[in-house]
Formats: sequence, C-alpha cells, structure tokens
Amino acid sequence: MAHGDHETELDRGHRAAVPVEPGEPLLKCEQLVIGYGGKDILPPMDLVVRRRQFVAVVGRNGSGKSTWFKTLLGLIPPVSGRITLAGPNIRSAYVPQMSAIDSLLPVHARELTSWGRLSGWNFLRPFPSKADRQKVEAALDTAGARGIAKRPFRDLSGGEKQRALLARVIATEADVVLLDEPTAAMDAVAEKQTMLRLCALAHDRGLGVVVVSHDMSVAAEHADVILFVDREHRCFVMGDARTVFCHPAFRRQYGDDYCHSAPQGPHRGNNPA
Amino acid sequence: METTLLEPSKWEQFQAGWELFRDPILCALIAGCVLGFLSVYVVLRRMVFVSAAVTNTAGLGVALAFFAEIHLGVHVDPLIGAVVLSVAATLLLMVEPARLRLSRESLLGCAFAFAGGAAILVGDRIAQEAHDIQGILFGTAVLVTPDQLQAVAVAGAVLMVLHLWWFRGIAFVSFDRVGATVQGLPVKMLDTVLMVSIGIMVGVCARALGALPVFAFSTLSAIAALVLDLRLPWTFFTATVLGGIAGAGGYLFAYFYDFPVGGSQTVLSGVLVLLMMLVRLVQVPFKRRA
Repeated sequence: MAHGDHETELDRGHRAAVPVEPGEPLLKCEQLVIGYGGKDILPPMDLVVRRRQFVAVVGRNGSGKSTWFKTLLGLIPPVSGRITLAGPNIRSAYVPQMSAIDSLLPVHARELTSWGRLSGWNFLRPFPSKADRQKVEAALDTAGARGIAKRPFRDLSGGEKQRALLARVIATEADVVLLDEPTAAMDAVAEKQTMLRLCALAHDRGLGVVVVSHDMSVAAEHADVILFVDREHRCFVMGDARTVFCHPAFRRQYGDDYCHSAPQGPHRGNNPA
Repeated sequence: METTLLEPSKWEQFQAGWELFRDPILCALIAGCVLGFLSVYVVLRRMVFVSAAVTNTAGLGVALAFFAEIHLGVHVDPLIGAVVLSVAATLLLMVEPARLRLSRESLLGCAFAFAGGAAILVGDRIAQEAHDIQGILFGTAVLVTPDQLQAVAVAGAVLMVLHLWWFRGIAFVSFDRVGATVQGLPVKMLDTVLMVSIGIMVGVCARALGALPVFAFSTLSAIAALVLDLRLPWTFFTATVLGGIAGAGGYLFAYFYDFPVGGSQTVLSGVLVLLMMLVRLVQVPFKRRA
C-alpha cells in the first residue's frame, strides 16, 4: 500500500480472492474486421469477453490497438463483422486516460463519479435521484475515493485520479469495463495497485474488464486473456501469457525474453491463431 | 432679479429618461447572463475563436439582409439574417476539420476572416446603412428596439430553461465525449443543441448589441469565473452573474461617462477578469490555511 493511500474494499476483496473461472459471455466480437474507410488492418477476429475475465490488449505503437479499442467503444464503425452485448441488460462503461479529463475543468471527484449514473436519456431528470446519490456514495467508498470526493480532479495525484475514475465506473454498474492505458504516467506502486483493483473488479465483482496497455509485465501478471495485435504483419494472437509471448508472431516483434519469463497459466480465451 | 438655470445632473436625466433606457439595459442584462452561462462551455471546450467567428458571421448576416432589401428588393429581417448565418457558421464549425486535413484553428481563421471581410465588402455597397453595420460590428446599442429586446428575451429564456434542464447531459457530453458515447447518451443531439444555442444567442444578441460585446460576454465571463476555482455548477452561476453585470453595468458606465456602449461593456468584462484575479490572489492564502 502506498504511503497515505487507503485500503479499499477492492483491495481487501482481491487479497481474499481465490482463483476464479470466467462466467457467462458479456460482449462478443464475431468475425470483427477493424480498419478505416473500409480498409481492413487486421484479419477477422472472434473474441468473447466473459464475466470475471480480465482481457489485456497489447501491441506496439501503430499496431491497431487503438483502432480495435475505438471500434469496441463504437467510435468508429467496423469494416465488417459484429460487436454485440450478450443481453439487453448488459451495459458497458469506459474509463478514459487520466489526461483525457481536461485540466481546466473544475470538476470534483464526486461530480465526476455522478456522471457514471448517466445513461441513455436519464439526463432529462435535472437532478439525480436519491438512489443515484446513494450509489455514487457507495461507489466512492468501494473505490476508496471518499476522502478525495470534494477535491478538484485536476489537483489529485495519479493514483487518486485513477481511484476517482474507478469510482465512476463502479457507479455505472456496468458489466463490461473498457480502459485505455489506465496506468500511463504512474509510478510502479500506483500502477500495481491500480491493476490489482482492476483485477478485483473482474474477479470479485464479476465484471468483464478490457484494458489496452503497453506494459507486457502488467499484462502477463494480471490478464486472464491477452490479445496481441500486429498491423504490420496483419495478424493477432490470443490466449494466456505463455501462449501469446511464445508465439512466433509476438517473438518477431519483442524477441524471446517475455517468452522465457511468461507465467504458465490455464488458457481461458478463444485463440483462433 | 437674476435667475440661473441649472442643467439637470446625469442621474436626473437618467431617471427622467428611464423609459428610454430600460429596454437596452434589460437587453444587455439578459444577453450578458445567457451568454455568460454559455461562455463556460465556450472556454472549457477551447472554442473561444468559435465565438469570434460566429459573431463576425452574424455581422455578415445583418449586412446581407440590408443588401437584399436595398439592391434586390427582398425584405429580410436583419435579425433573421444574423441568426441564420450564425447558426449556419456554428454548424459548419462542428465539422471535424481532420477530414479536410486541417486543424480547428485554421478552419476558425478562415470563417473569421471571410465573414469579417465579406461584411465590410457588403457594407460598402449599402452606404445608407453603414452606421448600422458599424453598430453590429462594434456595438453602439444606445437604443434597442422592442423587437430586438423581445428576440433576446425569448431566445434567452428558452435556452436557459433547456440548458438548466439538460445540464447534466450537456456537461457530460461536453467534458467527456467518449464516456458519454459509451454510456449511451445522445451525444450528437446534445452537442448540436449546445452549438445551435450558441449560434442563436450570438445571432440575436449581435443584432441588438453588436459583435464586440457579444464576443466579450461569451468568453470573458467564463474566464473571470474560472479564475475563482469554484466547483462546476458555481462556475456556471458566477459566469452568468458576471455576464449580467458586464452587460448592464457597461451600459450604465457608457451613459454616465459618455463612452460608446459596446466598448464599455467589453472593457467592463475585462475589468471583471482582473478583479476576479485579485480576489483569487487574496483567497489563495486562506484556502491554503484551511
């Protein structure tokens, strides 16, 4: 635990957790082809994100990670194929990079968390309901962000900002959480803590968590499924850390070091490669 | 016996002519408040020059309306000309500039320069209305017609109700567009509502008060409020109040010290920014101690 940092419900839950098996499907990519302006950059991909599953998407700069992520978020249309939520009540939420929240914005952690309660057209209610307010407070408690609730987001440290953003995503009560480089510009301690909290979101609270990351060690240590994408050679590899890190396509980009140090783990994902 | 006729004081003249001054003061107050509220979006979304380009375009709209009346014999209300062109410019500026391989700034620069230049060219062909064009661009709104006041009041009231009602949605979409998209909010609709609101309000206010003070209300009010480092809802409230003070206060200052109205309102908006900076300087040590 970092100095001055509080132990949160997520920290306690994750430490007590036993290995878990992924649950039912939440989000499905079927024969998904990503690209821009009708031009594909990767071959068709099938991927299922399940409950209690932590998926890490890795690859070099320009490898297609961001395009894949934006397609998943619905910001750019797929070239072909489908992305579907597995049920009408399944909801997804997005955690932006800390730097995506403008430093000029005078928003406090509690206000930021309360945005998590907005979905569809419920903004037509000008004030949050009592139930919404209670859920925001509960989310702040769960993420350990109660102490920073009244502080401006821009004045928070990297770890505190991430806690505020986690509180927001908990407040959404989403089933699938999508995160873009959640540990960018963090020190090693804050990074480790954030990743453990994300694991707790997946394994203890039963969410499907999808993280885009540059950090292979983070992916190897925490992810149940790793998706490696390589636009240059138009290929992708999916599986556990050893499957991906020892695959020739991965070794072509990163060498053999990751393969030698990769933990052996059960293959939980689908691997069409 | 000798008698001396004393000229009534400015204050007495003001009281006597209140009927005459009431409408322009009310108009400036409403315009300042509503544009002050919207200015928080303008500044925080880094669209300050959108406001400049749109106010210039409103000026072109008025000039074109006069041109149509004089040279083409077609009656177009200058207010309609200002609103239509400013809304059109706002919507045009919503286009993603990357599609044209341009930056947002270059697109804004084009709109600002073209609209300003075109207003001067059109103005050159309607010499009899040159004073009005001057008024639109720099704000010489000593008097405001009942129609102009009505337009500002109706547009202001409708937009404020809409924005207070939809505040949570518009704020979320404005400050975390991707998050709002993923959570299923109607992002394009809310964004369009915001941009059209800015276009309409800038259009009607530019016709009544002039482009310069409208630009000041729609940028400096938020800058002054943001300096105070308040929470988001209080920032909106403070910007609204400061906009109103700049509008009505600027008019009174112009009247009592014989200055042009638009310039006075603009300078007062700037003075309020400096004043808020001073307040902030005084505030900081207390906040640190707390």
